[in-house]
Amino acid sequence: MKGLFKSKPRTPADIVRQTRDLLIYADRVTSPADSRDSKREEKMAELSKNIRDLKSILYGNSESEPVSEACAQLTQEFFRENTLRLFIICLPKLNLETRKDATQVVANLQRQQVQSRLIASDYLEKNTDLLDILVAGYEDTDMALHYGAMLRECIRHQSVARYVLESPQMKKFFDYIQLPNFDIAADAAATFKELLTRHKSTVAEFLSKNYDWFFAEYNSKLLESTNYITRRQAVKLLGDILLDRSNSVVMTRYVSSRDNLRILMNLLRESSKSIQIEAFHVFKLFAANQNKPADIISILIANRSKLLRLFADFKTDKEDEQFEADKAQVVKEIAALEPRDRP
Amino acid sequence: MAQEHDHLESPRLQFPPDSNAYRILAEIGAGVSATVYKAVCIPMNSTVVAIKSIDLDRSRADFDSIRRETKTMSLLSHPNILQSLCSFTVDRRLWVVMPFMSAGSLQSIISCAFPDGLPEPCIAIVLKETLNAMSYLHNQGHLHRDIKAGNILIDSNGQVKLADFGVSASVYEQNVEQGWGLSSSSCSSRLMLTDFAGTPYWMAPEVVHSHTGYGFKADIWSFGITALELAHGCPPLSHLPPSKSLLMKITRRFRFSDYEKQDRKDKNRKFSKAFKDMVASCLDQDPAKRPSAEKLLKHSFFKNCKGLDFLVKNVLHGLPSVEERFKENKGLHGVNATAGREDEEEEEDDDGDSGGGQIVKVRRISGWNFNEEGFQLEPVFPAADESELDDSIVKKVRFAGESIIPDQKTDKSSGSGDAEQSNQSSPSRAQGEVEAPVAAEGVSTGSRGLDRDSFLAGLFALKASLDVQRCSVASLIGILGGELTREEELMQENERLRLEFENERGNNLELELELEFLKAMNSGAYDGGELELD
Repeated sequence: MKGLFKSKPRTPADIVRQTRDLLIYADRVTSPADSRDSKREEKMAELSKNIRDLKSILYGNSESEPVSEACAQLTQEFFRENTLRLFIICLPKLNLETRKDATQVVANLQRQQVQSRLIASDYLEKNTDLLDILVAGYEDTDMALHYGAMLRECIRHQSVARYVLESPQMKKFFDYIQLPNFDIAADAAATFKELLTRHKSTVAEFLSKNYDWFFAEYNSKLLESTNYITRRQAVKLLGDILLDRSNSVVMTRYVSSRDNLRILMNLLRESSKSIQIEAFHVFKLFAANQNKPADIISILIANRSKLLRLFADFKTDKEDEQFEADKAQVVKEIAALEPRDRP
Repeated sequence: MAQEHDHLESPRLQFPPDSNAYRILAEIGAGVSATVYKAVCIPMNSTVVAIKSIDLDRSRADFDSIRRETKTMSLLSHPNILQSLCSFTVDRRLWVVMPFMSAGSLQSIISCAFPDGLPEPCIAIVLKETLNAMSYLHNQGHLHRDIKAGNILIDSNGQVKLADFGVSASVYEQNVEQGWGLSSSSCSSRLMLTDFAGTPYWMAPEVVHSHTGYGFKADIWSFGITALELAHGCPPLSHLPPSKSLLMKITRRFRFSDYEKQDRKDKNRKFSKAFKDMVASCLDQDPAKRPSAEKLLKHSFFKNCKGLDFLVKNVLHGLPSVEERFKENKGLHGVNATAGREDEEEEEDDDGDSGGGQIVKVRRISGWNFNEEGFQLEPVFPAADESELDDSIVKKVRFAGESIIPDQKTDKSSGSGDAEQSNQSSPSRAQGEVEAPVAAEGVSTGSRGLDRDSFLAGLFALKASLDVQRCSVASLIGILGGELTREEELMQENERLRLEFENERGNNLELELELEFLKAMNSGAYDGGELELD
């Protein structure tokens, strides 16, 4: 029988179907008694091979480039049924190499088009619970990097990113970013950044709607974190967010708050050059704001001489014309400030 | 077998991500922004580990590249690859905990005990183990991009592991970045990268020409150079500063015969035909003609390869410990190196490895003494297939070419980018000059007639080559204690002073700020609490 199968090459859809059957098997057989079964081992090996085959169809290999027709067939069959769900649920049962292959397959499928539609996006919209599983993956040391990589690919779809942003789990990222394991924390930070920068209109809408809790958490947990990396990444990301034109409403609101100014000024005086520079890029928005509230003005005036002295020696490592120009502008703004009556 | 169990007991979980759990024993390697320590993990029965401590504030690299390195290291699982056991931050430093490889890097072993290279049977063992690692990596879609003796570590039992994934890359991840939003058919350049990474002496010509894109075969080239390094004690062209070595790589080919001419001192060092043949295949200018790692493993050179205990007996026996070697070299380093030179060396070895990055530098300097190749340089031009090679590569990688500019930018700004930095201008300069030698071929063979243009091009190439020679001769004179011309001396002095000045300025600024803030804190005016008043 085996010889018979060999003679007939399997189509991409065949491989997907076989993979699915094997995953269903893997999902079902869980008890330790079963796992000693040699038949199970054989099936798991077959599953690993199938997943590797899927990967080489999607990515090509050293001998051949991927064929778009084959990729489309594979993608269509993959999302016709719940294969993605099985991939995600069964991932912990696979060995390390197969997990990596599976992650790459899932990542690649996010950008495969079938009749110029990203059908992965459609599927995920109907199965948002899968995204919850992926996000919660950051709590599992073994799965975090795999689920994290899948998640980052999934949130390239705008609708998926919107779901994650608005889900209750969004709050958990503030903790994930500070997990002790650096690679997991860094992965969570990369996802967090992606969520808050990729889809402009969605981000702007999210920030406006969730301004209060989001920036309260952002300030207290990230910008005022005791962890150097967290502060450095957070202040950089804050700059990216506020300087984005689509977030101008949020920016205006942010730079009108005395508390925010206080936090940024504290970051300006950090001994870390990197943090100082990034903090400056946010601080300049406070100074450049043409409608500064009175309390912001009075703080800036009270600290004027110190700020001006700080900026006098403030330099980037490499010459940076834009930075120098910004600095000159900020210095000018601060020097020209006049006390205003409180409203 | 170990792989099978990975999903059951993750090694990463076992080592605590907390600096209090480790006790540092000794420093065993140092670079510009990283230091490597030997340490014990107390709650793990005081298992000995190596800890690479990276100063994150000094490495301007964005976190993505650091993230990728630690992720790569923790997700790879192969007996010949140095895995990270866990990584975590300690204030501004990132600690990467790795198994301790007690014999250190091959590079440090060579410089300490085998200045003229390892015996051939030992080379075979080491290279075979390295190939196992490369074959695994390539299968996973990873390029190491910095294969050299300094990144090959040995344990006391002879086990060989490839280390340092500081500049490694995954072709899959790159693809995902680039290919997003494009239909799959246009992703034709998969398995190709375009950014500029690695250490110059070991870098493949197509990496130097990074606009053409390169793939797994770039690692194979570096592997070939590493073979030469193990055989002779140093990589070819290592008597030249890195940027010149880059230039030479594309205007000239390496052959074993180059070395043999130079090895007058020990005539009895003959290498087998199988070895020479293996290395030659790796150093083909055309990446497509180089064998894959998998194919190389089947090469006759690796047949009848001896076991790891042979390595223990013939290489490791009687070797001073990694700590001792590091200490010794640290002393030497301070005496030998001139400030300017030191800086250059430091730059390219930004990442310490757990076998002693420091040692690399010393080795290169002492290597100058007996490497006479600089005197023998003739304008040897690449064979005619150079032009045709360029063509075929360009065809393959046109798509990848799109990302050159941003990629190079990130590289330049990255902390590990000093090797790149010294070459910021080189790639483009090199490109200009490649054309010339090709054209000059007509002249040197003399059979294709003599037209003015090609002759002129030949002369330009000759001139470039003379410049290189002049530079290397000057270096040699300097090393041998001879006098440099006034102008050159002044230039070196100038550069040294400039660096000193920059350093001082930085220190000064920091101190001033510190003072300022201390004052401010005292008076309370700049304190957060105070701001609210007013």
